[in-house]
Amino acid sequence: MTGLPKQIGRMLLFIIAQGLIFGQLEFGWGIHPMVYPLFILMLPFDTRPVVLMVVAFFTGLGVDFFMNTFGLHASAALLIAYIRPELFRLFSPRDGYDSLKEPSMSEWGVKWFIQVAGITIVIHHVWFFLLEYFKWSAWTEILQSSILSSIVTLVIFIVIQVLFFKKPKKV
Amino acid sequence: MRKLIAFLRRFRVFLVFVVLQLIALGSYFSLMSFPRTKFFNTANQVTGSLLSFEREVTKYVYLDEANRKLMNENKELARKIPENYISVDPKTSIIRDTIHELSFERIPATVINSSYSHKNNYFTINAGSNKGIKKKMGVISPEGVVGIVYDVSSHYAVVKSILTTSINISAFVEGSNAYGLIKYLENDPRRVNLTGVSNDIKIKKGARVFARGSGGYFPNGARIGTVEKLEPIEGKPMWDITVRLSQDMRKLRYVYVVKNIFQEELNELQDKVEELE
Repeated sequence: MTGLPKQIGRMLLFIIAQGLIFGQLEFGWGIHPMVYPLFILMLPFDTRPVVLMVVAFFTGLGVDFFMNTFGLHASAALLIAYIRPELFRLFSPRDGYDSLKEPSMSEWGVKWFIQVAGITIVIHHVWFFLLEYFKWSAWTEILQSSILSSIVTLVIFIVIQVLFFKKPKKV
Repeated sequence: MRKLIAFLRRFRVFLVFVVLQLIALGSYFSLMSFPRTKFFNTANQVTGSLLSFEREVTKYVYLDEANRKLMNENKELARKIPENYISVDPKTSIIRDTIHELSFERIPATVINSSYSHKNNYFTINAGSNKGIKKKMGVISPEGVVGIVYDVSSHYAVVKSILTTSINISAFVEGSNAYGLIKYLENDPRRVNLTGVSNDIKIKKGARVFARGSGGYFPNGARIGTVEKLEPIEGKPMWDITVRLSQDMRKLRYVYVVKNIFQEELNELQDKVEELE
């Protein structure tokens, strides 16, 4: 499977994984892990920014369907899709990206992945929890949820990368 | 005009971002205050059936606890059956009580999706308009009040949980009969706050808190919890009452939707009051 069908399949998989598995886990301490930002992060390098945002928006909507959040996930997903091109440029390797390869940990290195994914996750979570609580007096909860959830999400991202996105064997 | 188009083209990405962001946030913030959801929630067919499937798989884990709760409930109900009572005084005759009329019907439902650790929590149940559920019906569990129906589709309904900032259930404290509104202010799924009770009213710690049933959503006297903490609010003649919920919202599986047979009558009457004023 390549190209569009692969991406659509992946999108559905991530939405369902978020809705049925990760959204149902209750860790306590305000931890809400979110896996679907990984899908947005791993869309091909040459995806045009507008397409990227529309795809992210609908992914977020899909998650909203499950979580009864009425557009909150869509908003956060949209934000990280908007900053993704700029972020990738910031961490681009010396000779730029090879747009045929996927933006994954095995292709671009552990350091690159943790930097890019870490910043994406933190922005996503802070935005999400800021809007969810939406008052300054709850800043301790916002901070706690954002930091702890970011750590858990990053760990889940790395585990998914290690398990499912191995480096393809060279012939 | 050409300059405008050139300008729009340059900022196309940003414009798309702003427009989509407005749609998402507009939906998020407006739907929090006005109940006009139809789209962004689990009451729709696709996610509803997926969640029921998940529920089918995981329900066996909770069977034991569910059975125990049902037995307790049966025990309570059996206590109310007249056959189980013997007349203390043989001279009294049996009175067929016709004063009482059935006012609340209960529709059983299973929770298929729920949250408790967010600021506003909702849960989805597997009964919808096909079973006669309508918006704004009360939802209770065998242990206490849990929420109000927020949106209904043909087979599912989304319930605004008692753990929602704008839940505002009218409640009173046993003994004093002082009443106020239940609100979810602190982020603790075991506790809610009872606001609006004047601090010249004596309230005991440990007193039970019941729903007042003022909107007709709940039967008068449906259990909510017990008074756990009592503090005067600074600068206001009010109590800050923390209520410990009798239903642990983290373990919610089976609920009843309360259908008030006289709801329309009540609404009509209360609407008239506004007109008369």
